Amino acid sequence: MKRLVRTTTGNRPALAAALVLTLVAGGFAAWQGQSWYAAAHDGSAAYAAQRDRALAAGQQAVQNLNTLDHRRVDQGLDLWESSTTGELHKELVEGRQQFAGQVKEARTVTTARVLSGAVTELDDRAGRARMLVALRITVTTSDAKSTDKDSRMLGELTRVDGQWKLSGLGQAPVGGTASGG
Amino acid sequence: MTRLPADTTDPETIPETGPETDLEADSGKDADTAPRAGRKDPEPRAGAEPGDTPEDPESDGADGEDDGERRRTRTRRTAVVVTAVVALLLGGGAFFHAAHQLRSTPSAQNRALTDTEATTRVGGDVAEGLARIFSYTPAGTDSAERSARTVLTGRAARQYQDLIAQVRTGLAGQKVSLTTQAVRTGVVELDGDRARVLVFLDQTSRRGKGATSSVAAQLTVTARFDGERWLIADIKAR
Repeated sequence: MKRLVRTTTGNRPALAAALVLTLVAGGFAAWQGQSWYAAAHDGSAAYAAQRDRALAAGQQAVQNLNTLDHRRVDQGLDLWESSTTGELHKELVEGRQQFAGQVKEARTVTTARVLSGAVTELDDRAGRARMLVALRITVTTSDAKSTDKDSRMLGELTRVDGQWKLSGLGQAPVGGTASGG
Repeated sequence: MTRLPADTTDPETIPETGPETDLEADSGKDADTAPRAGRKDPEPRAGAEPGDTPEDPESDGADGEDDGERRRTRTRRTAVVVTAVVALLLGGGAFFHAAHQLRSTPSAQNRALTDTEATTRVGGDVAEGLARIFSYTPAGTDSAERSARTVLTGRAARQYQDLIAQVRTGLAGQKVSLTTQAVRTGVVELDGDRARVLVFLDQTSRRGKGATSSVAAQLTVTARFDGERWLIADIKAR
């Protein structure tokens, strides 16, 4: 009798402390596990990753399409074709011969530098995106005169086999419509 | 006679006093004490205290064993609890680290487009602000400057002061009006209350009653959210 009372009173606080400690630790683990699960299955993180991949690929493609050296026309035009898809790609392939001739005759070297870019629309499932790109184009003529021109472009991207490629590219019109957006 | 008793005593006494008595005494003591103790001890104890005698030695021995056992189980139980707590803490820590790793990628921290509401809002606020501060009529720049006080902050506000002073002196001689419109905005980066926005502007100027001419401008605007609206904190021409 005496002993029974002694042991229970002696163990009860320790048992309670152990229980509380285990519960707290368990609660912490559950909380963090839940937090990790949410982060791992966060659709917006995957979406953000696609956005950044589209932007990086798009900026590179826009730069590629505004870069051409008359001494390495074929190499440059190959790069144009590999950076594009869809309608834009078709246009480039069809106009290749004529364009290569013009550049060789003009003997110009064109380089471009992307100043800033932003994805404005992204449909992750369909694999389509739109972007804005501000870039500076430098054209050097055969007499070594170079001129800079700032350009603003609207790009349309399509994902092909997991890779983002330009499917449309044009200048953003100036002073045209009032409903720009 | 003396021999006889000496003789008789000799062999008798020698074995008696010497080895015999010793042996007898020894064996007698040994044999006696052992059975006597064995016989005497259980007999009176079993008779006098039948309830106590079996319990005392048993409980004493069991108490020692019990204590050891209890100590062992307690140690084992403590070890299990400590292991469980450590394992849970480690697991929680690992989850925390993994979640932090996932959330802290630059891609995930940039909420442009992923937070559609904030993305639309910062684009709209910046576009509207730029249109208001860069539009004026020959009548003056008052309304533009009033707007500037509400939409500009920090470096952009100081830049604007210098710019608008030049415009004011220019306006005095010629009847020029300027209309600015943000035709495209794209959020480059959005992280909490800070954002970077790429804006394509159309600036249409009209001199007197002459024809209008439009100029394109590309700006990168740094914006800061003040709790109510996104303020323009810095403007860089692109």
